[in-house]
Amino acid sequence: MTSVARVSSRPLWRQPWAVNSMVTIASVLVCLLLLPSRIPGMELLGVAPHWLLIWVVAWSIKRNQWQGAVAGLVLGLLQDAMTSPHPTHTLSLIVVGVLTARLQKQRYLQEDIVSVALIVFAMAVIAETVLALQISFNQLVSADSLYPPLGSIWLYHQRIALSSAILSSLWAPALYYPLNRWWDRYSSDSSTL
Amino acid sequence: MVTLAVSSAWLLRASDGALIYEAYNWLTRPLQPGLSREQQFENSYILELQQRIVELENQNRSLQTMADYEAAAVREGVRAAVIGRAADHWWQQIVLNRGSRQGVTVGHVVTGPGGLIGRVIAVSPSTSRVLLISDPTSRVGAKVSRSRAMGVVRGQSNNRVVIEFFEKLPDVKTGDVIVTSSYSRLFPQDIPIGRIESIDLTKSPAPEAVIQLSSPLPILEWAMVHPFEPQETVDAPVLPGAAPENGAIPENTGRVRP
Repeated sequence: MTSVARVSSRPLWRQPWAVNSMVTIASVLVCLLLLPSRIPGMELLGVAPHWLLIWVVAWSIKRNQWQGAVAGLVLGLLQDAMTSPHPTHTLSLIVVGVLTARLQKQRYLQEDIVSVALIVFAMAVIAETVLALQISFNQLVSADSLYPPLGSIWLYHQRIALSSAILSSLWAPALYYPLNRWWDRYSSDSSTL
Repeated sequence: MVTLAVSSAWLLRASDGALIYEAYNWLTRPLQPGLSREQQFENSYILELQQRIVELENQNRSLQTMADYEAAAVREGVRAAVIGRAADHWWQQIVLNRGSRQGVTVGHVVTGPGGLIGRVIAVSPSTSRVLLISDPTSRVGAKVSRSRAMGVVRGQSNNRVVIEFFEKLPDVKTGDVIVTSSYSRLFPQDIPIGRIESIDLTKSPAPEAVIQLSSPLPILEWAMVHPFEPQETVDAPVLPGAAPENGAIPENTGRVRP
């Protein structure tokens, strides 16, 4: 009881939940600002790491599938804002969020950095495949589609998926480790207070 | 909390991510290239000048036979630095550090050292996003400068573009210069695009040729934004069987002139 009173007497910006949401939002912002940049060493065949995907994986790995889906939806909308809404990124990131959250329940993988990198590798391939499926669908359904024929879409998909998966999984620990540490500390803080 | 996150993401999407790009521009300001980097593109400038000469010679020849010749409509534009690339791998876009505050609007044409790069598809107060001609959804009406054979330049998403000819047997050789054609609705005519690298006349449904772009798209650091008003209707007759060009069907270009 006393601890609850002490927490609520703090000013708003010092309260743990406010600090936690600020850190979370700031990390999303950093990912968004990293997207259009091509920093030397972060580029393979003109492809940069998929920072939002790494964030969604880091978020969903210890949460349930609904939280994963919401994170995928929000970050997908943000990436749509930065490129173009067709084909949409929300679908691929929601799939990634839900799959990552479900994966954790089966306990096939521990939560160390190597398995996180592996999950990111698989999820990057899945995300690019969902996008390629959307583009192929558009190509098949609409008569005046602007996209190239199916063969070249999937050839391009191979190249993109592989380089994006390699780069994202290599850079995944850089984002996953600090974020995970922070969320762990926050949850232990809020349980002790 | 969830609705707040979703609605703010939706708002950002509705504004085309203008806020994010503003922040990005502000953050990368110390990293943006200085004027001295221009020297790297000297070779491309020379290439552009060579191609312009070829184009001018051909124009001169055709001027003698043509009575109602219209001058190329490229006006002087704003210089802008390339500060970012597409935020996803499926799109070929660049981000420039000039926006609506400098008079850039959607539809303006962007050229670089060497020739045509693309057109502006979104602006924020101090940044603008450019769809490159190497994007798979980009279409540019173009012609072979030497023989006036017409075609559509299509992106291939890997910094390579191909030209699809309208005729079955176009008069084209490797090394020919490709420029934008007067049938193009979204680009002014006679901007150099590149040179023919290889030709595949057996390609169905239309003969195709691979173009070596004269502007170095992957290492681009500077670009010029030229004011241009895309045309909805063209007075000149459109070739029979001409595909909708420039990545947009006329109704969808979004700019209706009074």
